[in-house]
Amino acid sequence: MLKLTNRLLLISLIVVFFFSCKSYEISNAVKKENTVREFKNPYFSNPETDYVYKAHIEVYGNDVGGIFVAKRINDSIHRVVFTTEFGNKLLDFEVSEKDFKVNYILDELNRKMIVNTLRDDFRLLLKVNHQVSETSESKDFEIHKSNHKKRFNYFFVDKNNSQLVRLVNASKSKEKVVFEFESKNSIFAEIIKINHQNIKLKIVLNQINN
Amino acid sequence: MKTNLFFLILSLFSLVGLAQEQKMSTSEINGFKATVEKETKSIKTLKTDFIQYKHMDFLSKDIETSGKMAFKAPNILNWQYTKPYQYSIIFKNNKIYINDQGNKSTVDAKSKMFEKINKLIVGSVSGNMFDDKEFSISYFKTKEFYIAKLAPKTTTVKKYIKEVDLYFPINDATVSQVKLIEPSGDFTKIVFKNKQINVKIDESAFTN
Repeated sequence: MLKLTNRLLLISLIVVFFFSCKSYEISNAVKKENTVREFKNPYFSNPETDYVYKAHIEVYGNDVGGIFVAKRINDSIHRVVFTTEFGNKLLDFEVSEKDFKVNYILDELNRKMIVNTLRDDFRLLLKVNHQVSETSESKDFEIHKSNHKKRFNYFFVDKNNSQLVRLVNASKSKEKVVFEFESKNSIFAEIIKINHQNIKLKIVLNQINN
Repeated sequence: MKTNLFFLILSLFSLVGLAQEQKMSTSEINGFKATVEKETKSIKTLKTDFIQYKHMDFLSKDIETSGKMAFKAPNILNWQYTKPYQYSIIFKNNKIYINDQGNKSTVDAKSKMFEKINKLIVGSVSGNMFDDKEFSISYFKTKEFYIAKLAPKTTTVKKYIKEVDLYFPINDATVSQVKLIEPSGDFTKIVFKNKQINVKIDESAFTN
């Protein structure tokens, strides 16, 4: 009897172990011949455009509102500014794939964890060109996978209208950050939702017609 | 030809000269301050529309938002954006009530900071900002405006604001335009329109 219990315990442990180590996979997606080498995220790519959004941030139960502004200032760098509704700046960053510069940050926000999290979110949100390592396909989406350091980025493109609708940043085993895009014209996202899976942080951006 | 060019340049310079700000004399300053302070004391209520322009050098266009403001002496204030989104912030009974597109929240505001914010907003609108302890103030005039330029004295405020410019139309003792300049040089400009002083304002104007 004891043996049986032990064996059951062992089996369940093994199952749990394997289940939890299951690598992150997209359900019902089939790998495609890799025809695409590079994926271009169009939503912050035009250097002529001021990208201006009303922002809502939910962080550990606190709500913060403000204005989110981004602009591509050259091939590799985006400027990102977050202000209150009254216009005073809360943060002002310059972000590129390799570099990061803080032009201004409010003392109260100047915590390493906050700065690094926002830096990584903005870096991924704003980066235009991504090397594709693998492309797969499900009923509704074409999914481009791009490797970045120890993480992977999955770009979900709606087959009906060729629009980027979802971007998942994942580790080997699970989703870390999910970006969702709603766009009418494929070049500008009217609504962007950024959901962190491992910390209680949610950012929603709504386009302001400026 | 050369002379023509010379006169053209000269007249251009004199045009620039006309638009330029001139320092006010001591007697002008005293007269101006007295008028504004008298006017401010008589304000029981104030209603106005406003347009806010957020200027950042790296943007091709200023970010424009607009709305309306209601104030009741001594310190009840509703500052409300209606375009391009709905957002209102009410200062009342030492509390701040925020309604951000339907998301409501309340903040206790018994702090020094709240007093300062309230004073700054109310002062900006009414023009009663001649507090020599907080700011060093210089006075200018153009053809259209008297301009009071307030530079903060305390290091905490200096971090956020380099200067606050208040524009008073020559024939009006209340502010028509406020410019808040950040240390970076970027600024927020607020222009008031359709100002009404001492009209009856319903209590509901201070509920969001």
